[in-house]
Amino acid sequence: MTDDDDLRSRLRRTDPAARMTPAAPEHIAQLLEKTMTTATVRPRFDTRLLTMAAAALVLIAAVGGFLITRGTGAPDEPSGPGRPVAAPTVTDLAAPPGANAKCVEPSAAKLKEYADFAFAGTVTGINRGAVTLAVTHVYLGRPVDEVRVAQEGYSSETLLGSGRFEQGLTYLVAASEGGILVCGYSGEASAPGLRELYDEAF
Amino acid sequence: MEPDERRRLFEHVAPAVIDAVGRYLARRTDAATADDVLQETLLVCWRRLDEMPAVVLPWAYGIARLCLANAERSRRRQHRLFARILRLDPPTSAAATDGQNDAELAEAMARLRAEDAELLRLWAWEDLAPAEIAAVLGISGNAASIRLHRAKQKLRDEIRKLRHPGGHEELTEGRRP
Repeated sequence: MTDDDDLRSRLRRTDPAARMTPAAPEHIAQLLEKTMTTATVRPRFDTRLLTMAAAALVLIAAVGGFLITRGTGAPDEPSGPGRPVAAPTVTDLAAPPGANAKCVEPSAAKLKEYADFAFAGTVTGINRGAVTLAVTHVYLGRPVDEVRVAQEGYSSETLLGSGRFEQGLTYLVAASEGGILVCGYSGEASAPGLRELYDEAF
Repeated sequence: MEPDERRRLFEHVAPAVIDAVGRYLARRTDAATADDVLQETLLVCWRRLDEMPAVVLPWAYGIARLCLANAERSRRRQHRLFARILRLDPPTSAAATDGQNDAELAEAMARLRAEDAELLRLWAWEDLAPAEIAAVLGISGNAASIRLHRAKQKLRDEIRKLRHPGGHEELTEGRRP
């Protein structure tokens, strides 16, 4: 089918991306970090590792009124079995000051809907970008003794309270698929209304 | 799938997906939209990793296609206006075309139905076989083969018409569905 080959070649010569350079490794790494959340279970210490990076994605997706799960496509999007679901628009995460502006009033119902793991814990250590919390109570999910939070590239401004994990303080933390739910769903246990929110949700 | 396993799998496939989907988007939209949609596409791929088939790219293109459609929906009206004004332009690609400026081909492509032009782009630019095109568009392999074949014919017809304006009717004409 040389006729086809000719047509294909001719079309290829007009490919706008023909001269595009391959994605740089650091760009790939950055995209991966932004995308992935890690939930590394270490049976020996019964630890969970959570990250904040994608948590904001989850949150912004959530406050946008969507969750990117099976069968929750945009209204006019077909979403039968096996069809990819369209993602909501996720805005730039690298703008902590604006992050709070995207948060809506947290509700117990939403917390229950989004979270797959929620606990109360006290920070026992912070080093090299990892925060370790000793779990005092698990509201939802598999019982664990310790949770580690990777601080790489997260904006802490959206944690209730001082906005960051501090040694010795107690926190209430909810997570979805390994990402912490911020935006009023996680923070210092003493933050007004947070404990009530957890009690109501779980 | 264990979280570690998921992570490893995603790290394994992501570079190829980022590269291919990045190109796919650069061919169809502006750089800023391409960046946003690439991030969204990855997020959806990550969340739906359990459904990822053995042949990854068509699946990823399919997700990117829907994410892009979402992103463009809000700009569609503006988009249509552009399409009317710039009918000679290839689909809103901001990437500079250093390749040959094939005005005849661009015009012929512009005269095709959007679906047909997209089939041809998937075939020539993304270099996909009919079965893979089917996976991107969510249609049967058979339908993809038939539509691709027809799209090629239509493109050839349009090129011919551009060369012989008001010329004699071609045999392939009069078979429009």
